[in-house]
Amino acid sequence: MRTDASVHAVPIPEGLLEPALTVGKVTPGSLDDQVLAFPETKPPKQWYLALAVTLTALGIGLACIGYTFTTGIGAWGNSSPVFWAFDIINFVFWVGIGHAGTLISAILFLFRKRWRNAIARFAEAMTIFAVMCAVIFPLIHVGRPWLAYWLFPYPNERALWTNFRSPLLWDVFAVNTYFSVSLMFWYLGLIPDIASMRDRTTSKLRKTIYTVLALGWRGAASHWQHYEKAYLLLAGLATGLVLSVHSVVSFDFATSVVPGWHMTIFPPYFVAGAIFAGFSMVVIVLVVVRETMQLKNLITMRHLDVMNKVILAMSCIMGYSYMMEGFTAWYSMNEYLHHGFMNIITGTYGWAGWITISCNIFIPQLLWFKKCRSSYFWMILVAIGVTIGMWFERFVIIVISLHQDYLPSAWRIYKPTMVDFGILLGTFGLFFTLVLIFARVLPVIATTEVKAILPDAQPSHGGSHE
Amino acid sequence: MKTRLPDHGPVEAPRFWRTLEERVETPEARQAAHDEFLPGAVPAYDDVHGLPPQSGVSRRDFLGLVSAAAALAATVGCDRKGQGTVVPYTKRPVEVTPGVANYYASAFQEGRRVYPVLVKTREGRPIHLTGNDEHPGVRGKTSPRAMADVLRLYDPDRLRAPKAEGRTLGWTEAEARLHGALQAAKAAGKPVLLLSGAVVSPTRKALLADLKAALPTLEHLAYEPAAGDAAEEAARASYGQSVAIQPRLAKAKVILSLGADFLNGEDPETLAAWGAQRRLKSAKEPINRLWVLEGPLTLTGTNADHRYPVAPSRLAALAFTLARELAAKGLPLPAGANLSALPGGAPADVPTQAWASLVKDLQHAGRNAVVLCGAQMPAAAHQAAHLLNAMLGSEAVALSPAEPLATTRDLEAAVQGMAAGRYAAAIFWDVNPAFTYARAAAWKEAVAKVPLRTWIGLMEDETAAQCQLVLPENHWLESWGDYATPGATVLQQPTVGTLYDTRQGEDVLLGLLKALGSAPAADYHTYLRARWEKAVLQGGTFEQALHDGLVKVEAKTAALAFRGASVASAERAAKGAEGFELVLFPGFAPHDGRHANNSWLQETPDPISKMTWDNPVAVSVQDAQALGIQEGDFVTLTLEGTTLRLPAVIQPGQAKGVLALALGYGRTTGGVAKGVGANAYPLLGLDPATANVRPGARLAKAGGRKELSRTQSHHRMEGRDIVRSLTMDEFLHHPQGHHHQPELVTLYEEQKFPDHKWGMVIDLAACVGCSACVVACQSENNVPVVGPEQVAKGREMHWIRIDRYYEGELENPKVVHQPMLCQHCDSAPCENVCPVNATNHSPDGLNQMAYNRCVGTRYCANNCPYKVRRFNFLEYTAYKTEPETLAYNPEVTVRPRGVMEKCSFCVQRINDVKIRAKGEGRSILDGEVTTACMAGCPSDAIVFGDLKDPKSRIAQLVTATRAYKVLEEVGAKPAITYLADLKNPVEGGHHAN
Repeated sequence: MRTDASVHAVPIPEGLLEPALTVGKVTPGSLDDQVLAFPETKPPKQWYLALAVTLTALGIGLACIGYTFTTGIGAWGNSSPVFWAFDIINFVFWVGIGHAGTLISAILFLFRKRWRNAIARFAEAMTIFAVMCAVIFPLIHVGRPWLAYWLFPYPNERALWTNFRSPLLWDVFAVNTYFSVSLMFWYLGLIPDIASMRDRTTSKLRKTIYTVLALGWRGAASHWQHYEKAYLLLAGLATGLVLSVHSVVSFDFATSVVPGWHMTIFPPYFVAGAIFAGFSMVVIVLVVVRETMQLKNLITMRHLDVMNKVILAMSCIMGYSYMMEGFTAWYSMNEYLHHGFMNIITGTYGWAGWITISCNIFIPQLLWFKKCRSSYFWMILVAIGVTIGMWFERFVIIVISLHQDYLPSAWRIYKPTMVDFGILLGTFGLFFTLVLIFARVLPVIATTEVKAILPDAQPSHGGSHE
Repeated sequence: MKTRLPDHGPVEAPRFWRTLEERVETPEARQAAHDEFLPGAVPAYDDVHGLPPQSGVSRRDFLGLVSAAAALAATVGCDRKGQGTVVPYTKRPVEVTPGVANYYASAFQEGRRVYPVLVKTREGRPIHLTGNDEHPGVRGKTSPRAMADVLRLYDPDRLRAPKAEGRTLGWTEAEARLHGALQAAKAAGKPVLLLSGAVVSPTRKALLADLKAALPTLEHLAYEPAAGDAAEEAARASYGQSVAIQPRLAKAKVILSLGADFLNGEDPETLAAWGAQRRLKSAKEPINRLWVLEGPLTLTGTNADHRYPVAPSRLAALAFTLARELAAKGLPLPAGANLSALPGGAPADVPTQAWASLVKDLQHAGRNAVVLCGAQMPAAAHQAAHLLNAMLGSEAVALSPAEPLATTRDLEAAVQGMAAGRYAAAIFWDVNPAFTYARAAAWKEAVAKVPLRTWIGLMEDETAAQCQLVLPENHWLESWGDYATPGATVLQQPTVGTLYDTRQGEDVLLGLLKALGSAPAADYHTYLRARWEKAVLQGGTFEQALHDGLVKVEAKTAALAFRGASVASAERAAKGAEGFELVLFPGFAPHDGRHANNSWLQETPDPISKMTWDNPVAVSVQDAQALGIQEGDFVTLTLEGTTLRLPAVIQPGQAKGVLALALGYGRTTGGVAKGVGANAYPLLGLDPATANVRPGARLAKAGGRKELSRTQSHHRMEGRDIVRSLTMDEFLHHPQGHHHQPELVTLYEEQKFPDHKWGMVIDLAACVGCSACVVACQSENNVPVVGPEQVAKGREMHWIRIDRYYEGELENPKVVHQPMLCQHCDSAPCENVCPVNATNHSPDGLNQMAYNRCVGTRYCANNCPYKVRRFNFLEYTAYKTEPETLAYNPEVTVRPRGVMEKCSFCVQRINDVKIRAKGEGRSILDGEVTTACMAGCPSDAIVFGDLKDPKSRIAQLVTATRAYKVLEEVGAKPAITYLADLKNPVEGGHHAN
């Protein structure tokens, strides 16, 4: 809300003023001390404890993946007709989690939503980690993972080429592009902060590492000029990706002939779901971060309130989508689609359908209340609910649709194995291990961006001009 | 095929050296010398010069291994992992061209049934069986178990050398022992017991006669536990002798089955006639009508036009009532037949109107009606069937005198004789009474009192464990033999040399004859040939007989007189006791237990229950409800003090109060058979007349549940248009089975088929669901076996399956069967989703799989509306070693873990014909390409051909009124057309006949 004081002769009414995005007295110096000095401090015991837990989970996951590699996909519960199960559920789940980061850092940046500055770094990091968790699955879920590179169209002496009609191939490109652009975007934003840390640190090792990572950043005006341009460009690129990645992921389903998959609503529905799940995960992590890293003054309750509003909006879109699925099933008069939809609410896996609907539609309605949006208990409850609900949504889409499709003779109940759960646990281990390490070694808040929104940073900002 | 050469030992100090380093043996030089040539390539010249071997492999070993490697390398084609050495034959065996199959006619016997077969051999290995098309009866068809028996040849559990008391010994020593004992028995005049399978072979019969002449104390019993004692008992009563019953369905317009499962795949001749009758050549020629009264649901029952669940103990009463009513309508009663004393009464089991129709149907059809009775049904029902056929003067069943079979009564006498120490020796040849005899404990005790017990057989079984002398027998594909069948005397010839140190049973007997002082021939081959030249050939040459596999003979019509007075003895029907009526029948896969070690058969789903690898007890829907039994629940089945704990399946259509349990499971020997299912033989009755139908069984829930290894877990069509079924009336008067979906638009370019467009038509009216196609495909395409746990998870690998659906009321549902295989869609949903193009369309219409390119995303399988793609979830083949691998078809790749596979329309056969036609400069003839399933289908329900050839049989069939495509609305454009099933029920009193 940039206003020019010279145009507005009269002071802006109180109600229209954007409230301060930080709490208390925050100066650029105090911000640097608070955020950039943090990696220099010694981690508390709880951090090690948490790391031990996440590493254990990661270890279990790796063991399960190793077992799968030596045994075959038969180690999982997948069978005919449920040829995809946890593998693709987890893939879609993690790709979805990643979407919040890009949305916050890129789309909200373009929309000049300045509140995103304080949380963009963290959300963006979560995107990268979530996508890392996600890409594990396409690699390990194939029958012969040692040949997974065949999915890339590379020139070879056998003149073999990939099938560009296959949505799986589109996935390969979409996810790769997404990951590389997100990584660049994130890294670009980190450069000024890394340079600051390079200048602040006394440890020789850190200095060396930060020096390399800072790419010679000196804070010159020309650097800033290039930086701002690059950041804007990448934000533009990433914006398209927010919409494209999950749309493409949804094509895996939408372009197939499986009843329950073959639906035109899938691309927007998947994107909304991804933002929904991603925001919930960001809320969970942010609450922990703001409490444990003493960042309450920078990540304020207002941030959480706005995030919760987004979650609520997405929940409503999800509700609409679910209703549309039901409507399509009824209105199309397609018996297969109808059967598939009835399976979601009354079939063997009806419980999964109702978990999905409850967690994604009913519980988030609590966020209509300001009290819930500003209470840790309620927002965490909703966020965890949504995380579970969105995982089950993919379960519903994949397992329920597959287990009873066209020919009843082929129908069969799917049961996951411990290895399936182990790998899911392992990806959570990987995600939180990376989050924990990130929180200790890199600035979790983009100080340069927050400095821009400090009350004193905008000379023209109403009332704060002294 | 992996052929490991021995590792090289340490290099000895070289006599000859090339460099100084080599002479002083620096480690580098030693390594360099070692690494210079790849393992196995080091020249093994040393033994020629009398030098110490440099590599540890002698020339002789090397050559031996190379030739073995060549033979074995050819057996598996290419293994992804192993590297073998392939060298051509230096001396090519006559008739063997590497890469070209040879076919030999031979024959397989199972019980009284003989299957003349054509054996496909590659590089000397039999790999695939089909029926012998020269035979006038089977006309190129055979049974699932016969086809699967090629696997038994390569069973690793086969006994490879004679044994005595567990010690391996030579034949000379083993024979000396046997001969000594029998010579002593002869001298002492003590009886010797010989227990063998059914004697259908004239030469074997002659040999046994010779043996009996040389050893007058020989007592021979032919024992077939699956043949049905009651049938034997009834034949003796009705005709005074053993009788072989062969339905002649070509002449039957009305068939009444009293629990007879004549469509179960065992009898290719009957199935062929059935198929021909049901295929509907023209609307004017009506199809036959099948009435079925039965307790358990059988395959025949599922194909019935009218079926009524009736407890087997009630069958005789119903049939005699029928006889009485037919007699009242003027059908002549055989002389001496007095029905008044027989059980009868109103047919409460069948609705009155239906009963009246049945009586009318039989009366109208007269000679063209036939009553068939299930082998396991009570003797009284058989007698009633014989009576009815005699009254009808049925021409649709051929009865011929047969060698008698031992019933439980005869066995019991033998057991008592053994227990009393009557016998000096006993020979068990191809029989397993220790397993199949109901009183196993008594048997064991009795047999121990025989001084010398000799066992002759293929794989050590329960009986072998009780014998001192265990003699390994040839597989039938390694043996000579002959069989008398209606219309032809069939010759059985070895198609491979003996794999191990085995002999055929007849040769053992010939040796015995020699030892007993009479020497008719040096070996059985000579013996058989001499007999054939004397008695069978009639001017033809033996070579021609070998080529044809048979010599045709006039079908003898021995006049068997029905003894009218015998019906009076038929009252020995099972008395209706408290509790359940248990029906014991030979299992689809193991038969009487002899095939239990055959993994192909164990994994072929039972055509009704779709169970594999187990024999759960089948409970009727009503009883399951009353007892609160769910599918897979463990139950205890108790009968006369014998209790079995086994899982239950709920069988729609099974008569209330009837339990059904398959025999042949629960073997205690054999790598595959051991521990599969429960042994039901102890429940068999000792009265031959009712041995397989036992009243008074009790059933209770035992707690616990088993994950059933079932290939189909949903049994209703959910109102979907998947299997179309029409009654004759509907078909003739309202043929509505022909609504086509409007063509759906596609974004992709239409497939073009320049030369051929392969397609298939499956006639559901002819298909009975026997699963012969499943086994044929398994053998042809190296389909792996995955085991019960994997089947329970839905990971069976069959490229073709038979979907079986129940419709209507559960107590007596309508049942339909539908073979389901890759539909080779022109707009295949699987093809465009494969990211690596591993599955794509050929220019002749095949949906092909490039296994080597498959990464295993499984997307194709998800997107297949027919769910016919099979994924190698685990490594299902690598564990296989020789000799199992020898059963592989070298023309079909063995698929590794992580790869998708599916029906290829037997592309190897198509290409074989294409190459041959091209070589001969002609185009492919219609019917020249047959897929394995088509060739294996006994009722000719499957037709494969070129849709581009307008004159082809298939091109005519796809335009039939009954033609439709499954899931046409998905728009995949399948290349398989189904012809709607036809049923011929009585329509409101109107008779189509």
